[in-house]
Amino acid sequence: MARQHNACAAARWRSWLATSVISASLAATMTLASAETRATTGATADAEFSQQLGELKKSFTDVGRTIDESAKSIDAIQNPEQGRKSIEELRNQVSTLLNAVADNGEISKLGAKALSLADEKLKSLDREARFKPEEKQYLVNRWRELRSATEAAIKDLDSARKDFSELLRSLQTSEDYIDELMQIREHERALQVIHQLSEGIRDASVKLKKLLGTIQPPGV
Amino acid sequence: MSLGPKFVALAAALFVLAACELGGGTGYLELKTVPGSVRSPALYIDADKIDAKSGTTVLRQPVGTARLQSEGSDGKVVLLCQVVVKKNRITTVTISSLERPPRCQCERTGNDSKACIG
Repeated sequence: MARQHNACAAARWRSWLATSVISASLAATMTLASAETRATTGATADAEFSQQLGELKKSFTDVGRTIDESAKSIDAIQNPEQGRKSIEELRNQVSTLLNAVADNGEISKLGAKALSLADEKLKSLDREARFKPEEKQYLVNRWRELRSATEAAIKDLDSARKDFSELLRSLQTSEDYIDELMQIREHERALQVIHQLSEGIRDASVKLKKLLGTIQPPGV
Repeated sequence: MSLGPKFVALAAALFVLAACELGGGTGYLELKTVPGSVRSPALYIDADKIDAKSGTTVLRQPVGTARLQSEGSDGKVVLLCQVVVKKNRITTVTISSLERPPRCQCERTGNDSKACIG
């Protein structure tokens, strides 16, 4: 059961990346395929982490565009049922974002691995006797920089996880409220709730764009 | 360079994804451990050990009911509660580490159902 879940999660991650890229272009698909090959041929944890963060930024841009469009279309909705469907589609988009940054997701695991690699490297350099002091210092400084950059990227992912979780919760709560309102035939009020959502979605889109601007793959 | 193997790999990945979706898709489990200052006990979802941080951890989970368990001081794994995970939804469970054994505090979800059982 756990193995099947892991296989599904791994497949979902790869497929999510792949589908985003397909929609962009065939060339990008080839890039992803070769990136996956690299990932399985023993690249170091920090290189893999940087590469995955780069892919993540590309995919998030596509999802961000869809979210922007949803915010625009939600304003024009005149039918609560249609609104509920839009919210469901939005939940699907936000779920895609959250899937990528979940604590048990591939990127989070790679980030932790990259951080631990940097720590190990710094410890081993401390005991290193082969190099001249200035050479050793250079290596130590570079690893410290890499460690700081990795830590900053992990912090950005933490903050993204928090934002996406809040947005997903807000969408599902609104959907539930709309559902309750429709049960008592309060269609006008349901429409109001739907229209109010567009503000929250725009805010989420701004946060996503800010995140895209901040996330910096370490070592790049 | 032939595109054939890449397309086969891609098709296979999408096929596996479709199979997973047929199985119900993915939802999210948000675990909040309180108080944040207290280190939470070792936690498990079904058989998998969770790398739970103090504070909040967000995990992707297959849709369905997951068994949230914790490891006691005697090393035995005990069931805390069963958590209901829904597609593209986030289910929040707060774990109080002050109680022995730790206890699940469950949020309410739609239609009068609770996020966790037990």
